[in-house]
Order: sequence, then C-alpha cells, then structure tokens
Amino acid sequence: MASRGANALLSRAIRMETKLKSALEAAVLEIEDVSHQHAGHAAVKGNTAGETHFNVKIVSPKFDGQNLVKRHRMVYEALADELQSGLHALSIVAKTPQEAGLNMLR
Amino acid sequence: MNSQISSLASVLSFHHFSMATNTINLSALYTSTSLRVLSSNSPQNAPSLSFYSHFKPSVQLPSISYKPYGNTIRHSSLFVVTAVKTLSETELVDVPLTAEEFNSKFPSETGVYAVYDKNLELQFVGISRNIAASVIAHLKSVPELCSSVKVGVVDEPDRAALTQAWKSWMEEHIQATGKVPPGNESGNTSWVRQPPKKKKPDLRLTPGRNVQLTVPLDELIDKLVKENKVVAFIKGSRSAPMCGFSQRVVGILESEGIDYESVDVLDEEYNYGLRETLKKYSNWPTFPQIFVNGELVGGCDILSSMYEKGCSISSI
Repeated sequence: MASRGANALLSRAIRMETKLKSALEAAVLEIEDVSHQHAGHAAVKGNTAGETHFNVKIVSPKFDGQNLVKRHRMVYEALADELQSGLHALSIVAKTPQEAGLNMLR
Repeated sequence: MNSQISSLASVLSFHHFSMATNTINLSALYTSTSLRVLSSNSPQNAPSLSFYSHFKPSVQLPSISYKPYGNTIRHSSLFVVTAVKTLSETELVDVPLTAEEFNSKFPSETGVYAVYDKNLELQFVGISRNIAASVIAHLKSVPELCSSVKVGVVDEPDRAALTQAWKSWMEEHIQATGKVPPGNESGNTSWVRQPPKKKKPDLRLTPGRNVQLTVPLDELIDKLVKENKVVAFIKGSRSAPMCGFSQRVVGILESEGIDYESVDVLDEEYNYGLRETLKKYSNWPTFPQIFVNGELVGGCDILSSMYEKGCSISSI
C-alpha cells in the first residue's frame, strides 16, 4: 500500500529514467519534460496531469548495430506502460557510446 | 435537411473564403483569449491557453498553431441573425458590360451572391468580401455562365453569418430543384479560386465510420503503404497539421519536393480506429509515422535527422 502510493507520487520523468536505465543500460540519459509546450494540443486536452511530452536523449551500448527505427522502438518498448498511461509523445535522440563520442570504460 | 446542408458545406467549396476572413476571425479570437487568460484562474480549464501560464523567458515559442475555430464559431453564431433575404425574394440583376455600370449595380461589400446563366439556371453560390470584385472575376473566367446575379449583403460579416447566409441560399435552391449548383459541386474548378499551391487531398482509409469494412483495417493500411512510395500518417490534414511534429514532417516532405500521400489519423469519420490499428501494425506508439516503400522510416525525429544529415528521403 505504502509503496504503491509512493509509486503513484513519483513523477513520470523519474519512472522513465529508472526504466530506461535498467532496460537499455543507458550511459547517458537526459529527460526533459516539455509538456507545457504542447498544452493546447488536441490530444492532451482534458489531461490535467501534464507529463505528456518529453525530450529524451539516451546513449546506450544496446543501440550498436541497430538502425534508428529499432533504437526508437527499444525506447518505446521500455516505456510501454507509460505510453499506455498518458505519455503522449517522445522526442528521441538515441546514440551509441561511440556515436556520442564517449570512451568506453568497460 | 440541415445535416445534408452542413455536410454539403464541408464538401462544396466556398468562393473567396480568403485570408481576410481568417484574419478577422483570428483577431477576434485573440481578443477573447486574452480576456479569458485574465479572467481565468485555472488555466487547465482552457488547455489551449495554458501555454501562457507556463511562459518563461527561456522557453521558445512552439511552432504549433492553435486553432480553436470550433468554439469561436459556435460562440458567435449565437448572435447571428440571418440578415439576407431568401434566394427567391432577392432581385435578379443583369450583369452589365461596362465597369462604371458594374460598380453602381454591385456593392463592394461582404455577402453572398448567386450567379445565373442566360437560361436563368443557377450556376454558383459564393461568398465574398467584395462581391463586385468576385463577380468581375467570374465574368472574366466564365463569361458564358455569368448572365445575371443575385446579391445579399451581410451586415455583420463574421464567418458564421456568411456561412449561414450561404447555407440558407444553397438549402433553398436544393429544396426547390433537388440540385446543387454546378459551380458548387466538388471538383468543379471554374468558379472557385484555386489555392496558389495545389495540395493533394488527404487519403481516407474507409468510406465512412458507419460503413462495414469488407477488408480489415490493417490490410487497408498494408495496401496503402505498399502501393504508395511515401505515406505520412499525420495529425490533422496536410494543409493544416494539428500537431507540431506533424507540421514539421509535412514541412520537410514539402521542402524536399517529395510526392507523398498523407492520412489524417485524427479523422474519426473516414479513418475511424486508425490510430490504434496503425500503432499495432507498425509497432510504433506515436504519430506522425512516415512510410517509404511500405517500410516505417520513423516519426518526426528520424525524418528530421535524415533531413539534417542531407539524406535524400526519396532515395531510400
């Protein structure tokens, strides 16, 4: 009960962060809530909770060898629950560590 | 009858429903929005406005165009009293041959007008911000069909009042003759000013919401994306996208000069159920979605990044 309540209070951004980190082993992850930019958007009307539109920048070794469509699908799959529950749109930048110019530590 | 007319209005073309109309509507709209912003304590009640309440200096203005036309029209139509006479009561005026005569006979005002040919057959009912100018334009483009004209000036020419006047004349004519004036039939281009850049119509997947499909919707999607080289599933129409991402997609495709088909996923009449079915078909949860040669290329982000990298989209 307590944990369920706490979970509901967690913002979507934090849940997204957790999910993307664990599912995609994100090396870099930036999540920005831009819902306010889409507040009159027809599809969001009536949704007063906000947290509908996010910019996501993610660097993951799992993107290696995957084209952009597959990378975006991986992000969407990790966030399937959120998309079911009111997350409306993501703007995704998905890179491999190499593409992002990161030195692999491992 | 009324519903028949209103569906007519959406199918048939208005003449000279030009930018002037929009400008007037928009300014009225801005006035009312700012009033509402001031008076509203709860911006959530007016979702199209709550953007202002979040306004920060660092926030860029979104490129989305808000178009709450529906409300405005409904609101103002409360005050509309149809000021024009009926079509049959209106005096028929012969189209004169000289310009001087012309200006004395026809007002340069806003209203509805009906053009008759020499056999007194009604050819076209239009609305205009300058009736005299519109009639002159018709006289130039289709002189053989412009013999006489009926004019109804609308005193308070907001869009709703004009539409109302137009509808009442159309309705009257259809009731009397059972026919739509030939110039108002969709596809007739001799009366209606063509938009400067002709846009393709959006594709519709079904014949209508209440028509039983003989082929499942996902098969229709499959057929559509495979039979057309580039298909964009967008929110809103290609001429007026309803979401910033769709707008960007349309912008990129047009600036690349790509011959593409568009489908409005918000069209609940002709594409009913499309959003959910398409999400499953493409395994992609958001819109817009762009298909090339039957394959999902992605959404706005991917198309944008291809565009920025200079990938030729049509060469995929």
